[in-house]
Amino acid sequence: MRRVYLDNSATTPIDPRVVEAMLPYLTEKFGNASSVHFYGQEARVALDGARREVAALINARPNELVFLSGGTEANNLAIRGIAEAATEHGRHIITSQIEHSAVRGVCDALERRGWEVTRLPVYDNGIVRPEDVRAALRPDTVLITVMLANNEIGTVQPVTEIGALVREERERGRKYLWLHTDAVQAAGRMPVNVETLGCDLLSISAHKLHAPKGAGALYVRRSVRLAPQSIGGHQERERRAGTESIPLIVAFGRAAALAREELEGRIEHLRRLRDEFEAGVEATVADIVFNGDRERRLPHVSNISFRYIEGEGLLINLDMQGVAVSTGSACSSGSLEPSPVIRAIGRDEELARGSIRFSLGKDTTREDIAYVLEVLPRAVENLRRLSPLYARASNVKCQVSS
Amino acid sequence: MPYSEAFKDHLVHPRNAGELADADASAELTNPVCGDRLRLTLRIRDGRITAARFLAYGCPPTLACGSALTQMLEGITTQEAAAITRQQLTKFLDGLPPRKTHAAALALETLHAALDAFESASEADQE
Repeated sequence: MRRVYLDNSATTPIDPRVVEAMLPYLTEKFGNASSVHFYGQEARVALDGARREVAALINARPNELVFLSGGTEANNLAIRGIAEAATEHGRHIITSQIEHSAVRGVCDALERRGWEVTRLPVYDNGIVRPEDVRAALRPDTVLITVMLANNEIGTVQPVTEIGALVREERERGRKYLWLHTDAVQAAGRMPVNVETLGCDLLSISAHKLHAPKGAGALYVRRSVRLAPQSIGGHQERERRAGTESIPLIVAFGRAAALAREELEGRIEHLRRLRDEFEAGVEATVADIVFNGDRERRLPHVSNISFRYIEGEGLLINLDMQGVAVSTGSACSSGSLEPSPVIRAIGRDEELARGSIRFSLGKDTTREDIAYVLEVLPRAVENLRRLSPLYARASNVKCQVSS
Repeated sequence: MPYSEAFKDHLVHPRNAGELADADASAELTNPVCGDRLRLTLRIRDGRITAARFLAYGCPPTLACGSALTQMLEGITTQEAAAITRQQLTKFLDGLPPRKTHAAALALETLHAALDAFESASEADQE
């Protein structure tokens, strides 16, 4: 059976060039980067090299990066780190309704501990409005955390505009306001430049860039003070204690270098195939709704709601034909959790339940897309034939036409 | 717990999907919490179920339970049908993940609603 992986927003296949770069650090180059001897220094050189590569991907200085275990830890360190360090200056955070659970969960936890959180709406295009950020600002706001691009619908948020707003506030003399952005989905799929964005903190993850899981980085602008969330060691300038995983960080560095070198080509390839895919779906499947702004979004994502059916059924049907996708909705123990992102853009419950994310990768081929376009309409049709909602809608349509 | 092969087979090749035009008993129930929906239509002759069809909307276990239940029902008496347990239905699918057993409950509640409606209609005819 042919297999097509269209879940690159969840994780990406590891690039063989990345594996090649990391292999020596799993075997003979095993040193601890904090050791003074030859083995340690060999590891230190590799760590510094990877730091330069990852920093270059986002136009940061190498010493502004903190290596850690991944995007979730980066978001935890950024948000809790600022909140705890800035307590005496304010306890108000501004975020959006469509953040990844790693941001949403930290904000919820802080709220339970006494912080106040404003969650901005995104409207039907899935994009935050900078004027809403301005309106939400209070004298005690210490942190704005808005993702650079959404993980379910791919919409790109106006972080540059929010960064300009923060700069304006600083020019007026405000000292204790910082901007964090979760760029886990964006890095490697659009240009990311911390200077243009004007952010103080930015999270990225290795495994979305064709490197293994287990490494990530938080960009922390010089002069920004964080309360470390892991203490007991001098690593990462005491912002994240713990022996660095050299093989994973070397892999991250190589993947970042490749992403930077190949960025333009990857974007063009992804956008072309994604657009072909969407045109194909539109031509072959009725009663669908595309979710999120179709212009201002990442080039590799297509999020589609299929009326009358539920996402997980379609996911399993496609999986049995070799096509891997994902859905944001989950039903367990009889309680339904429709995707908060799809609900936030104003879709009704049926559309939220029937949403599927197709996320392409740099290695996705035109043949892969053709195969998906062959099996998807059948899978949708099979599920609709079972659906009482579809049966009812079809009867209504027949009555109308007769 | 991942879905079993039997489960996935029911999902991809559902048995008895659709509606019986001349049904003797039917019911459509919705799980008020998650919105899953199951419609069951039955043909009953001399106290025996001779045909069963289902339509379902919701998570995969609801679809698979609908399919499996209609297969279990064909040819058995209404009394035997009423006695089917959640465990029997789950076993027919080689198990359900623990957090998905509500789907089997919805299927059996829909069956009981259809059988109750049939019984009430039969009693009314006799009177």
